[in-house]
Amino acid sequence: MELLNAIGRFDDSTAEGRAVVQEALEAIVLLLAPIVPHVCHELWAVLGHDKAPVYADWPAVDESALARDLVEIVVQVNGKLRGRISVAADADRETVSRLALQDDNVRRFVADHPIRKTIVVPGRLVNVVGSGPPSCCRSCRWQPVVSSCAERLNCCRR
Amino acid sequence: MSTEIKYAPAEVERRAREFWDSERCFEVGEESNADKFYCLTMFPYPSGQLHMGHVRVFTISDVIARYQRMQGRHVLQPMGWDAFGMPAENAAIKRGVPPAEWTYQNIDYMRGQLQRLGYGYDWTREVTTCRPEYYRWEQWLFTRLFRKGLVYRKNAIVNWDPVDQTVLANEQVIDGRGWRSEALVERREIPQWFMKITAYADELLDCLDDLPGWPDSVKTMQRNWIGRSEGVELAFDVEGEDEPLTVYTTRPDTLMGVTYMAVAAEHPIARRRAGQDVDIARFIDECRTMHAAEAALETMEKKGMPLGINARHPVTGEAVPLWVANFVLMGYGTGAVMAVPGHDERDWEFANRHGLPVVQVVAPADGSEANVRNGAYTDHGVLVNSGDYDGMTSEQAFTAIAERFEAEGRGRRTVNFRLRDWGVSRQRYWGTPIPIVYCDECDAVPVPEDQLPVVLPEDVRFTGLGSPLRDMPSFYETTCPACGRPATRETDTFDTFVESSWYFSRYASPDCDTAMLDERESYWMPVDQYTGGIEHAILHLLYARFFQKLMRDEGLSAVDEPFTNLLTQGMVLKDGAKMSKAKGNTVDPQALHRSLRRGHGAPVHDVGGSARAGAGVVGRRCAGGVPVPETLLARGPCTSRGRCLRRDRDDQAQRGAK
Repeated sequence: MELLNAIGRFDDSTAEGRAVVQEALEAIVLLLAPIVPHVCHELWAVLGHDKAPVYADWPAVDESALARDLVEIVVQVNGKLRGRISVAADADRETVSRLALQDDNVRRFVADHPIRKTIVVPGRLVNVVGSGPPSCCRSCRWQPVVSSCAERLNCCRR
Repeated sequence: MSTEIKYAPAEVERRAREFWDSERCFEVGEESNADKFYCLTMFPYPSGQLHMGHVRVFTISDVIARYQRMQGRHVLQPMGWDAFGMPAENAAIKRGVPPAEWTYQNIDYMRGQLQRLGYGYDWTREVTTCRPEYYRWEQWLFTRLFRKGLVYRKNAIVNWDPVDQTVLANEQVIDGRGWRSEALVERREIPQWFMKITAYADELLDCLDDLPGWPDSVKTMQRNWIGRSEGVELAFDVEGEDEPLTVYTTRPDTLMGVTYMAVAAEHPIARRRAGQDVDIARFIDECRTMHAAEAALETMEKKGMPLGINARHPVTGEAVPLWVANFVLMGYGTGAVMAVPGHDERDWEFANRHGLPVVQVVAPADGSEANVRNGAYTDHGVLVNSGDYDGMTSEQAFTAIAERFEAEGRGRRTVNFRLRDWGVSRQRYWGTPIPIVYCDECDAVPVPEDQLPVVLPEDVRFTGLGSPLRDMPSFYETTCPACGRPATRETDTFDTFVESSWYFSRYASPDCDTAMLDERESYWMPVDQYTGGIEHAILHLLYARFFQKLMRDEGLSAVDEPFTNLLTQGMVLKDGAKMSKAKGNTVDPQALHRSLRRGHGAPVHDVGGSARAGAGVVGRRCAGGVPVPETLLARGPCTSRGRCLRRDRDDQAQRGAK
């Protein structure tokens, strides 16, 4: 079902894109063949095969296709989701952290607040943690870490 | 895709089927280099129509078979017919059709249904158990076992079903009633053929440990059914009897708490006393008409009568009154028990009813109090009021008392089984004739191999009043194979569980007419995946394992266990009950028709709102279950297959899938 949804969303009418769809549909038909063999017999022919699925092998997992070139990483500022970036799957921590801070939305939230540390979970997320006592100051989008009334007015330097 | 394709299920499915048929996709030989995979479902009884329970279980198996095939295995999936049985006789009585004709018609119809559902069966291997080509080998094996002493005939008290007019196996008695007729079962004494399954009790039990592919629940049920227990046989002297009375007990540690003893109504001592006392004779007669099923023993009223003689306690020498009681079984242990009401619930109940003393000889090991006035204390513990044995644990006392009796030559440690030998005689027509001839001179003589099969006459007038074989001199009049004098054939037939105990092997060599099995057996056996109903957890699966060992010891097979992986499957229930025409709660196929016409899919299990899978029994010999409607076959095998499987996600009874 998830595979079918993914194919439905897949929009690429280039020759390469159509080949991807074809391959995915073939996999679906073979995976369903033991359960609903009659209709799969028909669909297999529609997909252009001369040899019936009853003679086909179970689809093999292509390990190389599972290796992804790019991974999507979520970026948090003080624990709140503020952006998503696409980085090379084998990028090191520094690169990931640098790219995270270049994201427009992330920059908007960090503004010129001092950054205490940047946590990088490879392949998953970056969390930018600010220092100082930000507060509920409305004029700034810096999210409060602690809410201390005394510091409320000092948090925003703009 | 650019072209518009309209889905026409009937066309699509016909094309696929025709392709598989013309290509003979599912016919397999033994020449492949690939790993074999033998995928089997319990074959159906040809009741007339497939029901949804069949579709469900066959679909599961078919999916496994097709999947394994795509994995590159050389897959055998055969199909056949468990064709003997009582519904054919019932139909014959009702409609005046000979059972054979009715059965063959049903097979033809149901084969067509299966083919339309598109299961990947190798139909060239079809096995039909009511054909002489099949049952002759069963008769042959029986005569071999006769010579080995693994079958025997004895007068036995049997469970007599007064409605079906037949003997039932213990397994076919549920709560004291016949499994089909639900009539109260009576005890009767009839000469019966038995197969010595008890000779294999140890192996049948031990091999369960080597079956990781079986659901634990099934293995537990089989273990309990076999019921191995370790105990001690103890000899008690009895007044006026030359022979001591031997009892079997699993709790010799409670010996000092014996306050009375009881024997079965059929015990020789009870019979002798019956000759001297009219009341005792009357009581024994009464016991005979009571129910023999073990399950009923748990719940029935415990009745008994003093025999008026005493046994002597082997340690204290005190007199212990001897009773005859209905809850003591002649067939289990020695037919006599020592009663310890302080530490056995049944003895306690009986003692209270008849005002017999209750003595405590075991106390809880943790020092707490147990008052045996209020009920038996059945746990192990520490011995009290037991003279020399005081202070010992139950385990220490078990050993000490066993050793003492062994040293005195008055007892021995033994292993006992709950499992009984399998009574295979049925006073029925529609079954495999038992291949025995009775001669006045030579007694029971097995039919020689060159005179097999003993063919069951199929052209009979069937009235239902007893077996027609008894009215057919042409069947039963014969000559003795040993001495040539006029003799009489056995007119009883085998329990139909005999046929289903070896059919799985016959699929490997279905056409062999020179032997029961040939070398192809060693290619296919054991079955890699066996699928079927949970209701066969004990009966069929235990007998099949037994037969596998019989065939192995006959040199026909090298396989110890016939089924490597077992998938037990719940039954299609309606409102929590099994569906049966007798109960009038089947689902109306017309409703399915209508819902299909309205353009719904095939709401297979949903018709009536509540037919669904669950743990239960659709008796295969009961005309039960939801029939598979024609429209479903015509419009949506794929739909019904898919639906059957989806339902399995919440089927608690299904386990062990590989």
